[in-house]
Amino acid sequence: MIEITSLTKRMGGKNIIHDFSFNAQPQECLGLFGNDGAGKTTIVKMIAGSIPPSSGHVKVFGNDIVLNTLQAKKITGYQPERCLSHSVMSVKGFLSFIADMRGFRGAEKRKMIDRAAARLELCRILKYPIETLPAGLKRTVAIAQAILHEPSLLLLDEPTEGLNADQKHKVRMLIKSLTDEMTIIVASRTPEALTGICNRALIIADGQLVADTSLSELQRGSRHYQAVTLAADTPLDLLALAVLPGVAGIEEDRETPGTVTVLAMPGQTIYPHINALITQRRWKINTLTLEPGRLDDVIHHMSQEASV
Amino acid sequence: MKLLPVIIKRQLASYFSAPITYLSTAVFLTAAAVCGFHTSQLLEQNSVDLHGFFQLHPWLYLLLTPVLSTQLWADEHTAGSMDFLSTLPVTGFERVVGKFLAAWIVSGIALMLTFPIVITVNYFGNPDNSVIASQYFGSWLLAGSYLSAGSFICTLTHHRLVIFTVTLCLLLVASGLSSILDAIEHQAPIWLIDRVTSLSPSTRFDAMDQGVLALQDSLYFISIIVTFLAMTTIALNVRNR
Repeated sequence: MIEITSLTKRMGGKNIIHDFSFNAQPQECLGLFGNDGAGKTTIVKMIAGSIPPSSGHVKVFGNDIVLNTLQAKKITGYQPERCLSHSVMSVKGFLSFIADMRGFRGAEKRKMIDRAAARLELCRILKYPIETLPAGLKRTVAIAQAILHEPSLLLLDEPTEGLNADQKHKVRMLIKSLTDEMTIIVASRTPEALTGICNRALIIADGQLVADTSLSELQRGSRHYQAVTLAADTPLDLLALAVLPGVAGIEEDRETPGTVTVLAMPGQTIYPHINALITQRRWKINTLTLEPGRLDDVIHHMSQEASV
Repeated sequence: MKLLPVIIKRQLASYFSAPITYLSTAVFLTAAAVCGFHTSQLLEQNSVDLHGFFQLHPWLYLLLTPVLSTQLWADEHTAGSMDFLSTLPVTGFERVVGKFLAAWIVSGIALMLTFPIVITVNYFGNPDNSVIASQYFGSWLLAGSYLSAGSFICTLTHHRLVIFTVTLCLLLVASGLSSILDAIEHQAPIWLIDRVTSLSPSTRFDAMDQGVLALQDSLYFISIIVTFLAMTTIALNVRNR
């Protein structure tokens, strides 16, 4: 159980983080979302114990991060946002150093390294110096070192940034499978990458907690929830779309002509009506998608509201 | 203290993978050889000890210790790696001591590589090798005290060049303290001169260099090392606050 009570960080006479509190249970995957500079990384660093809070407490399974720092750090795994240095070390050398620091020796150490490397599919690149790897692989190495010692609390800072689609998918699957074993806190500016993984979302703006809810709840709050996006070569009859029951409005995409998004009124379902209209008019449609709700928009909107 | 060997190993690996370590060791050895053989007229004197050679060590370390101490913490300031390392379960004291010991081992290796000069004097004469051993030990202690001072300076600033310059200046002052005191001998009160002279590392080292391994001189260097390492730990903890 992670208890964070009225965490505050002052830097240069300004509150970077202000009175931030939340609890996280075991087997919970928490998303920490917000715009750039909202304070996500600072919070993660404070939980990891690399910067001490100005006031407030962080307790990791009963261990206070300031008073009982070694115990807390032992059960925490942290993937930093920026890449690791130790650049001349090989991937294997680096993992081995981390395993040493975590107190593993001999056969157990080899087992831990092999397992972490296998989980992130690093076996191919174990011999290469970290410095020579592309950004995506550096990030997976950083994740591998964080999960090496099977922590009870895993802190991930932008885990999917710079990864290609395939790697992103694998990291998502990994986080999902790890949720059974540990508490995970993921800080990210792209919440879309984490839908279906995080069971809770904390929205942070200007260092303050503005929302603590589930991701599906956030999606429901989106203007685009239940909206339908259509793309066609021929111009569509927008008026016919607009008069359908439950339609709140129509947005045309300026960058790609021929693409329109039909917004739904709250609580209304418009997909079947649009489908029926298409069949009736025999429109030649290239794409037709039902939107789950744009999380980026919601978070951006919430952040702006909070700062006003 | 369980993690001390891990940190020493890691720091040694980082030293041995950096070309600057080899370069400064090479410069140190060359300077030691040149000064040892020429300046002190070792061979002409037909002397049985290496007094002249060791007398130059406070100066020779100016070539080696700033380079070694610059590498101690400078690596970690780059790319936020300090933030990451401070999330590992290791105390600041362990890190400071581990890194210092690694640097001290490297300086010990550099010192041991001056062995040809010992072979040479043994070949030409019949020196007292126990005296030479105690001189080497004294020289190693001197290197340790210089390195610990450098390690403290490293925690005060991030910039390699600043660390290097400040360390160099400090060591220059320390090594040249006796010359400075000579210059102000007639201006300053005698008790002050005496006090400061007894604090000068080169004076202490000269005493050891005579081949007398006095407990108080060894303790002088060890206390310098302990003091600076404690200061480094405190500075590191304060900065992380």
